[in-house]
Amino acid sequence: MESVCILGAGSTKYGKLDESIIEIALTASVDAIESAGISPEDIKAGYISNVFGVADKQVHMAPVIMSNLGLSHVPGLTIESACGSGSVMFREAFANIRAGFYDCVLALGVEKVTHTGTNQSTTLFSYCSDFFYEGGNGASFPGLFASIARAYMTKYKADEEDLANVAVKNHENGLLNPKAHVRKRITVEDVLNSPVVASPLKLYDCCPFSDGASALILCNEKFAKKSGKPYIKVIGSGRGGSPAAVQGRKDISTIPGTVIAADQAYKMAGISPHDVNFAEVHDCFTIAEIIDVEDLGFFQKGKAAKEIREGATSRKGRIPINPSGGLKSKGHPIGATGIGQIVEVFEQFTGQAGERTIKNAEIALTHNFGATGASAAVHIFKKVN
Amino acid sequence: MKNVTSIGVREKFISSAQNSKILARKCKDCNTIMLATILYCEKCHGKKFNLIEYPGKGYVDTFTIHTVPPEGFEDVESYAWVVFTVDDVLLRASGFLPGIKKPSDLPIGSEVEVNGFDKKHGLVLKKI
Repeated sequence: MESVCILGAGSTKYGKLDESIIEIALTASVDAIESAGISPEDIKAGYISNVFGVADKQVHMAPVIMSNLGLSHVPGLTIESACGSGSVMFREAFANIRAGFYDCVLALGVEKVTHTGTNQSTTLFSYCSDFFYEGGNGASFPGLFASIARAYMTKYKADEEDLANVAVKNHENGLLNPKAHVRKRITVEDVLNSPVVASPLKLYDCCPFSDGASALILCNEKFAKKSGKPYIKVIGSGRGGSPAAVQGRKDISTIPGTVIAADQAYKMAGISPHDVNFAEVHDCFTIAEIIDVEDLGFFQKGKAAKEIREGATSRKGRIPINPSGGLKSKGHPIGATGIGQIVEVFEQFTGQAGERTIKNAEIALTHNFGATGASAAVHIFKKVN
Repeated sequence: MKNVTSIGVREKFISSAQNSKILARKCKDCNTIMLATILYCEKCHGKKFNLIEYPGKGYVDTFTIHTVPPEGFEDVESYAWVVFTVDDVLLRASGFLPGIKKPSDLPIGSEVEVNGFDKKHGLVLKKI
């Protein structure tokens, strides 16, 4: 088995972008290639994650992107797994390097939806649910997570202020990220007074619809060392699944796929949750981050709200969560999000995170899932000094 | 002949819902009960089942009330999307419950009943 490294990373700003989906995809790809200091011809395969390309009149994304990079002869693969597309795709790129099929590949996530407007985006996202039981019965994505929030709050006596604390913390972090979609300081009162989207979730409990693209260059360690450029290592990878419909879960206050993926990743890395110095987790809604940090083993079930309130997940806390601003502030271009999380880890570990830098961090974790957690992936990274 | 087929299962589920029932499968090997649309046993992966119609009554596990509804639901003034447990069975289902305006209208544990299956709004519930 080959050791898998990340040699380069690039990302567009997340937000409402005017360029086409292909243009933003190529911008991130070129940034990653130049960051790695490689020649395009070094890329032996392209892995692309995207969900709603059809909304910008482009599917079969991978060969189109590879062709526009002058690499039409290089095999490409497009992967869709709802909001978890990026990390699910990353796993495939990782597996192919690890198995020795390729020594260097491009992993690119991209999404463009803001031009469709809030109503159509809400509808498109509902197609990511188990539609027969959820979207088809009137559940939007905020609605699904709102039902999860109500179940969690009922079971563990959490309240809406506990949810708001997540939003306030992530917006604070996003202020330091020049590529974040929503760079705005907010208070608990702002969250509690924002319009209800699907009770108990309010506008500031929800991440924005975002456009954006993020890209990585993955390679084996021999290739990375030969380049002479800074790189980081992927030391753990896990994939898990959950019942696609919320109704199918025995406990609605947990996401089984996260627990399964985390367990695999920790075992592969040979570490425990206590060894992780910071994490980028899937905070599509504030309740998701509370559940994530428990399912990932950072806190006991039912204890995260208290820990977050006391600052354990702030940038200077015991386990900083989402120093990038997370989906909540940095934004959520769903095909790109999982890759964007790893771009943040790369920047943190290669001295490019500026004021966001988590001091003395050596090990980081990323967690990303599709829909309400039906497809989940966890990856663990190590700084190379 | 195959023990399991997906053909027509949703139509049967819908037909049961139109009669205020929930259609489920009971595994002949381990007695696990699942919604009829799940084809193999989730617990023992068995392939042999009895199809059972349960009375579509249950209690609310969780719910939400949408302010920004998805396409097809804009015409409903106010509704809840509800996850409920079918009475006397370890089985959850979910549906559309019109007329719910605020959370206090539907305390957790409230009793609900399947009230049909609407082409536009899916599994329809009513509060009892």
